[in-house]
Amino acid sequence: MPERLNQPPYPTVLKPYGQSLVELARERADVVCFTGDLTRQCEVDLFAAAFPERFIHAGMAEANMMGLAAALARDGFIPFVHTFGVFATRRPLDQIVNAIAFPNLKVRILGFMPGVSSPGGPSHQAVDDVALMRAVPNLTVLDVADAVEARQVPAAIVDVDGPVYVRLKRGEIPVIFGGDHRLRLDRATPVTPEGGDVALFASGMMLAPALAAAEVLGAAGLPVSVVNVPVIKPLDVATVTSAAARARAVVTAENHLVTGGLGSAVAEAIAEAGLGRRLRRVGLRDTFAEGARTGPYLFAKYGLSTQAVVDAAWSALGRAGRPPAARPAQADDGEYAPV
Amino acid sequence: MSAITHVSDPGTRWTAGDPVVLAARIRLRAVRMVAPLGFGYLGQALSSAEQVAALFSVMTPGEDRLVCSPGHYVIGLFAAAAELGLLDEEAVAAYGQDGSQIEAIGTERSPVADYVCGSLGQGLSAAAGFALSDRMRGRARRTFALLSDGELEEGQVWEAALFAAHHRLGRLTVLLDANNSQVDGPVDEITTLEPVREKWEAFGWTARELDGHDVHAVVTALAGADSAQQPTVLINRTSTAHGLRCLPPDADGHFIKLPPDLAARAEAELSAALEALGA
Repeated sequence: MPERLNQPPYPTVLKPYGQSLVELARERADVVCFTGDLTRQCEVDLFAAAFPERFIHAGMAEANMMGLAAALARDGFIPFVHTFGVFATRRPLDQIVNAIAFPNLKVRILGFMPGVSSPGGPSHQAVDDVALMRAVPNLTVLDVADAVEARQVPAAIVDVDGPVYVRLKRGEIPVIFGGDHRLRLDRATPVTPEGGDVALFASGMMLAPALAAAEVLGAAGLPVSVVNVPVIKPLDVATVTSAAARARAVVTAENHLVTGGLGSAVAEAIAEAGLGRRLRRVGLRDTFAEGARTGPYLFAKYGLSTQAVVDAAWSALGRAGRPPAARPAQADDGEYAPV
Repeated sequence: MSAITHVSDPGTRWTAGDPVVLAARIRLRAVRMVAPLGFGYLGQALSSAEQVAALFSVMTPGEDRLVCSPGHYVIGLFAAAAELGLLDEEAVAAYGQDGSQIEAIGTERSPVADYVCGSLGQGLSAAAGFALSDRMRGRARRTFALLSDGELEEGQVWEAALFAAHHRLGRLTVLLDANNSQVDGPVDEITTLEPVREKWEAFGWTARELDGHDVHAVVTALAGADSAQQPTVLINRTSTAHGLRCLPPDADGHFIKLPPDLAARAEAELSAALEALGA
């Protein structure tokens, strides 16, 4: 069933995750909140104000923060741990592996500023976090697409029987889905009519350019079926292989390196299913990005634009001639549109 | 497999008896655990025997918590637990063997301590988390953490030390086995950690230096360390060869080789030492 979708430029909201974490904590006394000195940036200034006795400031010390969270989880608390994605995954990888994932504890790790959404340079750009977390047994890995999904994250993950890593966009969060959209951890969801020539799997911030690319390609006579994949691990292999089987080619789109993330997961699934579909992966290709003034500049430069998705689909089908040109929507203040 | 899972589990009971005798029994038991393997973490048992005996003398059974940060040290805890009837003989006999639940480098799955870290430097964070959790829940129990000096090279220990002091986790007590031993040799030849006491004090801890083989001193210090104001570290100066004269002078304290003839001499020496204590 295709979903009800807004059209770009999308309206945006602030702190959908932070608000719903507070709502969850009102119902659940076992929810505690950690911050690694990025409280407002990770939307948990709201939690700190509402529940100071359950708010733990760990300082700039991610390794220790993961160890603390693990100990509280052992004791029956459900810690939600907040920092930027780079600091949540690279610095404390050994702590996540040994103190959290091996004992399969209910620690929820929220990594903000995914991929090149930050213009802050390689130190601040989590282009490898999904790959790192996906390699760890027991972990569930999410990359959600919009505010409607972000708002549902706390309630959706609180009772997962094991650790969870979620990437979340920082700042103004676009509202792509209609209000009735439900975030499910067990399902990838087709968001446009099924049966297109290309099955286009997108996660996180790449859903918006994937939808825009599908419009452009559809107008050029190339029907594309977009599937939103908010859960990279465990992947909904049934939906992915069924959509891939109905298409002639497959494209993945992720705000991440093409190695180890969504593109790899989909490639593994379709190869193991014996589906001989040509695959194109949109994402960063074995490179670090760079510091800049704006995120959109980086999305364009590192191959994450609507045009890059259009080109990938065109190439995957071996179409002759120039691919159609994408004309991204213009976004005013308070709106969001993919480049 | 074992009579208990963890020392803090409700209902766990033991009677430690004379800590001098318990330390001697830990040494003999550790030799018997390592002998079938021919090598192992005997040095850690020899340096920590008095500290482990002191822990079992001071901890409130079925209540206080114990974190073992260096997983290699579980041998001493297993030895003590076996001597106190907390671990089955069958389980201890399988120490380090294929398929055994009693792994030589302790893990998440190891019994006795409430939490054992395999990867070094992580235990103080867990102990601080336990102490914080108890305070948040209004529980009055203590948390003890066994650390080694080599681990102080890991930055996470100092992150945790800052956190515990800032949050005034006074019911947290660290036993630091300062045996000056790490894989590549003496700690002080690899990284200068001194002055260790002043470092902990500068981080906001109450720090005391002790002869780690004076079991009565360790018992007294442990019992008196419970403070409402700040966490305490006991820096216990020890040797990985203490109490076992037959070891060759060049024995590798991190991983001691114990061929059958040496194992037999060690067992004879430690049995005689126990007899001399009248135990």
